[in-house]
Amino acid sequence: MTTDMTCTRLTIYTVAGIILQIIGLSIFVFGFFPVKPTLSGVSGSESYRDPFCDSPPNSKESEIHPEKLRLLYQELSGISSKYDRLILMVIDGLPAEFVLGKDGQPPWKVWKESMPYTQSLLANGDAIGYHAKAAPPTVTMPRLKAMVSGAIGGFLDVAFNFNTQALLDDNLLGQFFRIGWKMVMLGDETWLKLFPGTFMRSDGVSSFFVKDTVQVDRNVSRHLPNELNRDDWNLLILHYLGLDHVGHTGGRNSPLMASKLQEMDDIVRTMHLRAIDDRSHDQGQTLLIVVSDHGMTENGNHGGSSYEETDSLMLFIGLSSNISDYAAATNNLAFQVDLAPTLALLFGVPIPKNNVGVLVPGTLNSLRDYEKLRALELNSWQLLRLMQAQLPSSLFEGFSCNCFLDGTCEGLGSDISECSGDKEKQLICLFRNAAVLHGIWKSKKLTESSAVEDFSRALNAYNAFLKPASEWLASKTTEKPVYLLGLGVSAMLISCIVCVTVFLSLFKEVYNDSKDRICSLSNLLSLEEGFILAVLLILVISMGSSSMVEEEHYIWQFMVSTFYFLLLLKTIKSFSFSKGLNILGDYKVGSIFSLLISGRLLRGWHQGGVNWTCLPDISKWLEQVGSGYVKWIQLISNFLVIGLGMFTLFRTGSKRKTVRILTFSSSTCGFLVLLHAGRYGDDMFEVSTDYGATVIAKLIYLILSLSAIGAASVLPWCMLIKDKSFLAEAGDCLYLIGAVYILCWCLLQLLLQQPINSGPILLLLIQILAITGLSSKDLQVKEWVEIAALYYMGMAGHFALGNSNTLATIDVAGAFIGISSHSTILSGILMFMITYASPLLFLLSLVMYIGAKLRNHSHSTIMAHRANDLGQLLKLTLGFPCLVPLCINSILLTAYTVVLLLMRNHLFVWSVFSPKYLYVCATTLCTYIGVCIVAVIVAYTLSVTTFLRSNTTTRRLVCS
Amino acid sequence: MKEATKKKKPVTSIGVCSDASISASGASFVYLITGLSLAVGFWVARNKFSVDLVSNPSLTLCLLWSIEFPIVIFVYSFFRRSPEKFSYFRALGRSIIGLFSGAFMNALGAIALGAPIGTQYLPKTIHWSFLMSVFTFVPATAVFGASWTDWHRVFASMKPSGNIEYMIFSPAYGAIIGGWFGAWPMPLDWERPWQEWPICVCYGAIGGYIAGQIVSLSVMFFLRKHNKNLKLA
Repeated sequence: MTTDMTCTRLTIYTVAGIILQIIGLSIFVFGFFPVKPTLSGVSGSESYRDPFCDSPPNSKESEIHPEKLRLLYQELSGISSKYDRLILMVIDGLPAEFVLGKDGQPPWKVWKESMPYTQSLLANGDAIGYHAKAAPPTVTMPRLKAMVSGAIGGFLDVAFNFNTQALLDDNLLGQFFRIGWKMVMLGDETWLKLFPGTFMRSDGVSSFFVKDTVQVDRNVSRHLPNELNRDDWNLLILHYLGLDHVGHTGGRNSPLMASKLQEMDDIVRTMHLRAIDDRSHDQGQTLLIVVSDHGMTENGNHGGSSYEETDSLMLFIGLSSNISDYAAATNNLAFQVDLAPTLALLFGVPIPKNNVGVLVPGTLNSLRDYEKLRALELNSWQLLRLMQAQLPSSLFEGFSCNCFLDGTCEGLGSDISECSGDKEKQLICLFRNAAVLHGIWKSKKLTESSAVEDFSRALNAYNAFLKPASEWLASKTTEKPVYLLGLGVSAMLISCIVCVTVFLSLFKEVYNDSKDRICSLSNLLSLEEGFILAVLLILVISMGSSSMVEEEHYIWQFMVSTFYFLLLLKTIKSFSFSKGLNILGDYKVGSIFSLLISGRLLRGWHQGGVNWTCLPDISKWLEQVGSGYVKWIQLISNFLVIGLGMFTLFRTGSKRKTVRILTFSSSTCGFLVLLHAGRYGDDMFEVSTDYGATVIAKLIYLILSLSAIGAASVLPWCMLIKDKSFLAEAGDCLYLIGAVYILCWCLLQLLLQQPINSGPILLLLIQILAITGLSSKDLQVKEWVEIAALYYMGMAGHFALGNSNTLATIDVAGAFIGISSHSTILSGILMFMITYASPLLFLLSLVMYIGAKLRNHSHSTIMAHRANDLGQLLKLTLGFPCLVPLCINSILLTAYTVVLLLMRNHLFVWSVFSPKYLYVCATTLCTYIGVCIVAVIVAYTLSVTTFLRSNTTTRRLVCS
Repeated sequence: MKEATKKKKPVTSIGVCSDASISASGASFVYLITGLSLAVGFWVARNKFSVDLVSNPSLTLCLLWSIEFPIVIFVYSFFRRSPEKFSYFRALGRSIIGLFSGAFMNALGAIALGAPIGTQYLPKTIHWSFLMSVFTFVPATAVFGASWTDWHRVFASMKPSGNIEYMIFSPAYGAIIGGWFGAWPMPLDWERPWQEWPICVCYGAIGGYIAGQIVSLSVMFFLRKHNKNLKLA
């Protein structure tokens, strides 16, 4: 038959589809989550030189004494530092609208009256405020990073940073630390996580108790009088969390908001009177900056990219500027990242390397003319350096060291030109204009007295360059290249179509041959088949809603339980009352009931998701009752897992030595796991330091991997029982291997998972045994439906183990069991195994499932007359178990990719959809690994048994 | 076609025939009664007790099923199988057993599908399962009794024959499927009071029950036409 797929072609198509999918996925991921192009290292004295000068790397800079370094920077910058001290007051979640109003209108009365002192400062011209636009995700830690480093981080940056939270990029605090500043931090402990060891004194408060709106700020303010009296610090950071907590509990219009604003206003007054106006101490000039990290929505939430959330405040108090107009003091726009270069230039340190912000213009007023231009020049140089890293050097032809100053730039006249062309060329042209004008002004300044016009031209030219350059650089870090996204999505679509086509062709071949045509046409889709497809459709649709993504576990568990009911219906349908209730039927009903009960227990074990986590569940109840019960559950499930494993191993009826060895090794392992849990289970967090625990865990890893690999490689060779048919042998062998794999995996999970999760592991094992038993008892359900159901059950179990679609539920503590030295890769693998315990367990159970199927169908004629050809046999046994998970996963992945693309401007794209996408990618990886293991084991076993059989038959022929 | 209209039997007022079968208009009459009693249940709950499903689900559900249940058994017991063997009162009696066993099965099903367990949910679950039992099990027990083959044919094999079996089969499955779909909004974060168990499931079940009645009616009309055409041919 020409239309039939041969095994080789099937494999080639499938592998091609998968490779295409991997390529598409990686293209999409790199397009959607752009990796920020960063310059490594820290800005030093070279940042005060022209970027085209080849400055020798000054390696000795780090060894210079801080005080000397400070003087060096001051000398190089040529800007006299007016301020000696800085107070940075961060009010978490304060929208700029509360202080500055919106669209030129003053703020609402209730807000304005709550902050009388701040408003009077604004009205008198003592303060100048900016609407500082923050970049999403509007969450505290990334925003603090943006403020101090001037760089906009990518999403992956946030997601992959749970290992180390310290900010290692070049940033303001690091620069201040290098010039010997003494810093004090009071408030949110995020600062302490970001900058460990930087602060001289600190008092961190936690933002964990969101209901606490009073004490959290009192803990900050109680140190304030004391700190203001001292003069040993240069930088004082105050981070108030209370306003954010007020927002989270009551929204913008919470009745607590006015008193909270009043409290903040009092603090501003205290600091202004004590630190700035009061000159009795010899502490020098102090600058007070009030900023907020992000705004809040009407309901008080944040994280997205709406105007209410990104509208954060930047308020400079104590700048000796000459603003008298209230509107001019409030109606200003800036970006949050602009804080970094502004502070760097005001306080005489190099601008952080990856900064994309520009100098806030209002802060320049106190400087002299040449200082202003110098500051703009330094800012431009820094941005130009960043551009140089991203643009081909051919664009910078003709630039050379200090050529603008000397007027010796090649091919570039000293006249300014109209800038046109594409964006990059335009930017370089703008920079050149500014540099040329600056050069002209410098040369004229010495000779002519009235250079006001030249000065303003140069100033405007610099501003004309800085704004677009900053926007271009910022868009580089957040823009999504459309062609990459399109390419990735189309590759995934094509691979999805390939997978489904391969599946359909196999489907047609198997089911049209095995049954008579009329029957298969008349009920083309039975109830279960329709349901399996409907589940897929429902999942795809539900992905578009953020709350459904958050509560995805409900869908899986609801669907899986409904599937059990459909199985029950099918079983009852097959009863025939004329013969009475037969034992087989009872057994089946019992299995289905055990599936239902274990499914319900699994569902109740962890109340996952986001919105209903506070509801009671079994794990919370157990922990409340006492840890003794958890221990008991751990003990019982450990024994039962071993017992069930033994039972399954011996049920095959083979009493060979290998089985006994396997039993011995796995029971040893089980007792080791028990020992480990009993002795070291209490201190989960110190487990990596304990030597004995590490040794035991390593021993368990060794035994488990040895028995898994040994079983798979040895068992096929020694399973030759002469009186059975060849297929039954192979089936027995696969069944044994599958049982060993499942047992090993369960034992490993009992070791790795939290003690509370040992119950679900046992329940999952029971489910697998029940459904494999059911399918071997002729359930009258098609093979692909059973495999799809196994996949669904695996996903339901994934959520039953306490996982969710937020990154917060990943169990990091277990990832260090048995690892003696810190290794990111090893603990990453362990973390993956813990998180995907259930899907991998169900994928591994496919080996056992295939074995049971083979054994049952060994006498059926179709299999027998096809068994002669290894390729045909492999196709029939492996086709569906490999293709069905791959197809389901491919459809879900592609659909979710499209959803993510459609939702890219959604409010929750960073908080809900992107983490879910990471999970989808990891599920894809998990499916690949599982299917790969299954395919390799089954192919190996079948080829070994075929080889052995051909050997014996030839030998028999020779003998006779 | 003319002959077809000529041959059309004049419809009797209720349509109860001697072999316990029922005509389509009789079925619509039965449906009207059951639907009206549901409405009466809601009306009593609203006007006499001033509660509704959202404010006090247990009491409302209790009222609903205790008003619906007598109507259903009185009506459906007329159509019992082999009326010569089993008396009308026996049919009434066995449907009371059916009410309890059906409630038990429905409660188990709901819990297996994820209904919350807890003392504050227990009365709601119980009353909900009584209502579901009235929709699903009670008519069947009134008609079939302990005839397992009929149960098996109608509910498991889904092969009802005759109008009365459609009248049992279609609303029962409608109520179950409607309840199944009614559970969908529960996990969403809309923060509406009706998202609580079992309010939206009740709405779904009642909606599905009525939809099932409409479906069975249309099937009856369609089948009768079809049969007429067959007879003509």
